[in-house]
Amino acid sequence: MADHKVTFTIENNTDPVVATVSTGTLLSDAARLAGVEIGQPCGGQGRCGRCAVRVSTGNVRRRSTLRLSPQAIEDGYALACQSVVEGDASIYVPLQEKIVRNLTTDRIAAEVTVPADYDYLTSQTFKRIPLTLTPPNMDDQTDDWSRIQTALRIQASVDKVNVSLNSLRYIGKMLRDCEWKVTAILETDPSGGPARLVNLLPCHFKESDPLWGVVIDIGTTTVSLWMVNLITGKVMSQVAEYNGQIARGEDVISRIIYASKNGGENEMRELILDTIDRLLVKACQRLNARPAEIVKATISGNSTMMHLLLGIPSASIRLSPFITAVNHLPPITAREIGLHIHPEATVDCLPGVASYVGADITAGVLSSGLDQTEDMTLFIDVGTNGEIVLGNRDLQITCACSAGPAFEGAGVVDGMRATNGAIEEIWIDGETYEPTYRVIGNEKPKGICGSGLISLLSEAFLTGILDKAGNVNLMLPTSRVREGAHGAEYVVAWGMETGSGEDIVLSRVDIDNLLRAKAAIYAGFTVLADQVGIPLESVAKVQVAGSFGKYINVEKAVQIGLLPDVAWDQFEFLGNTSIKGAYLALLDWRKRQQIADIASRMTYIELSADNTFYEAFTSALFLPHTDLSKFPSVVEALKKTP
Amino acid sequence: MPIEIPKDKWPGSVRKVTVGATAAEGGTRAKTVTVGGQTTMPYLQYEALTPNTPVVAIEIKSRKPEDWSPLLVETWGDAMSDPAQWAKKAEEAGADLIVLALTLEDSADDAVNAVKSVLSATGLPLIVWGPGQAEKDNDLLVPVAEATKGEKIMLGICEDKNYRTIVATAMANGHLVQARTPMDVNLAKQLNILITDMGLPADRIVMDPTTGALGYGIEYGYSVMERLRLAALQGDAMTQLPMMVTPGFEAWKAKESKVGEGVPEAWGDWAARGIHWETLTAVALVESGADLIVLRHPESVKRVKEAIAELMVTA
Repeated sequence: MADHKVTFTIENNTDPVVATVSTGTLLSDAARLAGVEIGQPCGGQGRCGRCAVRVSTGNVRRRSTLRLSPQAIEDGYALACQSVVEGDASIYVPLQEKIVRNLTTDRIAAEVTVPADYDYLTSQTFKRIPLTLTPPNMDDQTDDWSRIQTALRIQASVDKVNVSLNSLRYIGKMLRDCEWKVTAILETDPSGGPARLVNLLPCHFKESDPLWGVVIDIGTTTVSLWMVNLITGKVMSQVAEYNGQIARGEDVISRIIYASKNGGENEMRELILDTIDRLLVKACQRLNARPAEIVKATISGNSTMMHLLLGIPSASIRLSPFITAVNHLPPITAREIGLHIHPEATVDCLPGVASYVGADITAGVLSSGLDQTEDMTLFIDVGTNGEIVLGNRDLQITCACSAGPAFEGAGVVDGMRATNGAIEEIWIDGETYEPTYRVIGNEKPKGICGSGLISLLSEAFLTGILDKAGNVNLMLPTSRVREGAHGAEYVVAWGMETGSGEDIVLSRVDIDNLLRAKAAIYAGFTVLADQVGIPLESVAKVQVAGSFGKYINVEKAVQIGLLPDVAWDQFEFLGNTSIKGAYLALLDWRKRQQIADIASRMTYIELSADNTFYEAFTSALFLPHTDLSKFPSVVEALKKTP
Repeated sequence: MPIEIPKDKWPGSVRKVTVGATAAEGGTRAKTVTVGGQTTMPYLQYEALTPNTPVVAIEIKSRKPEDWSPLLVETWGDAMSDPAQWAKKAEEAGADLIVLALTLEDSADDAVNAVKSVLSATGLPLIVWGPGQAEKDNDLLVPVAEATKGEKIMLGICEDKNYRTIVATAMANGHLVQARTPMDVNLAKQLNILITDMGLPADRIVMDPTTGALGYGIEYGYSVMERLRLAALQGDAMTQLPMMVTPGFEAWKAKESKVGEGVPEAWGDWAARGIHWETLTAVALVESGADLIVLRHPESVKRVKEAIAELMVTA
């Protein structure tokens, strides 16, 4: 096959870069070879249109142009993920959309409270042991490793200890360099098995020396990392960054598709490892520590993120009957994973329940206390997927519903992430239909984020702009309701008020997307409640995990029928329960055991195989719900509106 | 030994809905038609009598339809070119009501004239359908509703994306509406909520849960109607409405009734088959609880009415 030269010219960048590829190579792959960053939020399926590039000269065959306008095609645009090289070509790459970084770091994060009963000696599996060895001589010909084992037995009552080849390669020199005085970092096995030598440090430790552990929550969007001093149990640094895989797919499905392509798996693994490396460096810098001093990492995240991190094929997660390769992972060393902490460090990947109920949920349940309480509790984690757990200390059942990315601002014409310029809350006057809104960052509005969409939907419904089916009432005496390109719409902000100069609207398509998203989640609640045999309204507590809960207005979420209509004080907002659960598991082996129990005991309901789900879904596809008796507070609110 | 048959007692019942108004009631109809009122599942006469006999409407069009089966064209003949004539023949064929379907070619004036001519040609209550395109439906039905104020016509067809204008004009002019949803209990209920939310009393709505012809999904339609009726009897107010379906439209679009040539010989006589198809579809739906069925062929009307009469017999 012939080789072709593909030259990439990047907007605002004078130096073109070249890749030499064979006939039939995707432009996106050629770009990657050339080191050119082209975002593919849909994972290279040709569905999002965000990887459009302009073919200046040369031979490129467009397999699909679904997301390009006839004008764009005429102007030479092509989708990088759908166009193959068939000859030398010169490609112009427009500026790529930048994600505004606006994440929790320890400067703004709340301090994490160390569990009151934390005792390093009884809770922690890691031990640091000062050893003073008798140097060998002509009469005492014991080898170095036996000498350490003997010392451990006599000085610390550790009977059996394993060691890796990697450690054996350096202990001899270490012992001699520091005159036979060392500190052994051991990982012990609470069930009585042999201990493991993780690290050998020169000299005896000082009481004030930290022993570093780390917890990492790999979210589909955000990766968070906490540095923890295992001696005190204190979280010393909190950092977060967007998951580097975002450019290769915004949701798990797109990422699985990307990973399933040639070389995709490896690329995904490297992207997340890079993200974690950057976080490690950032966290360590502040503490004057080195990543190599970290002896334990506890990792939480959904099942797809776990598979991608470990380089385990994830394709079966996406395809019926939706099976993971593994839910309960054995301890792995950092070296095997390629995590740049101490190579012998233990990496503990927390267990998941199913393809779409991962370790983030089991860890979340641990930290929420759902599995310990007598009260029937609903735990929800809403993102692109909504994961739901219903239960108490006696039973827990769980399901995942695909809400789509509507509440994260995607799939909505004027939707956007919750960053600067996003309308985050809206109020509408019931008589004039005029809105008032609040924008993140005090800028001109650019779009509406998830919390804004919920608030908008609720206000538009209560003021009668929308009927219960979400139809815009075009008969209202205001120019803000009109027939638009995507059906009837409501104008939230006129062009003169906005960042782009274009009107920001809520269109019929958006409303349908939002209704489907909220109906999917509520239907999930309904199915679980039916399984347990209780009315949903009778749950004692609703625990909302994730950043979603931090920003949304519960009243509004109830009014659109996204959350069940229970009293205010029954809602709890827990923040990132995934990392909190991982933190508890890092500190205490008994908590780690508890997560394993939770994961094993929890009953998973696959909604696509549940014949009551569809009925519950269509019933919830209404504002707030077809069965109004489930939403008494909304009935009251409707009575008060004109 | 006598056997005691257990009887169900339901908390809910179906509302009564009356179509048409006599001179005394502010209209010009010779008689009115009342449907609904059931307190138990269909025709369990030993539990409770069926208070109102299901009725049959014959569908006619404001203009001679081009796409109807030749069997229907042959039967109705020249009357198809004149809605007044057609309506008269339909009344003779035993219809309890007339459905007049307007077409896309009609102007507002054409529509009003067609409706008025049908009203003067027969004393039967009337159902008027728009051509089935949201904007055109509204353009035609509003002037029709205004020109026939007080006649208690049933206006159709309201769907969840287009009900507001039709409901508003029905409210303003004392008419009823037909609320159609695509074979789903929740959707049927939702549309009834939307319509009553606008202020139209529930006893001026007949719901049309949509059906399929025999062999073309009738079992879905049957099951949805059965579940709607069960929900109504269990006390769910927003399903306590009489039901209408259009087996004539469905059956005459099935290949078995539409096509006479190039079909297996075993299928038998075309004309007989077409009428069987419509009749069997209709009777099954009557048994599932339909209160008002819309047919196209006069022979089917005769047979279906006979079947209804048999169902109404009490021990």
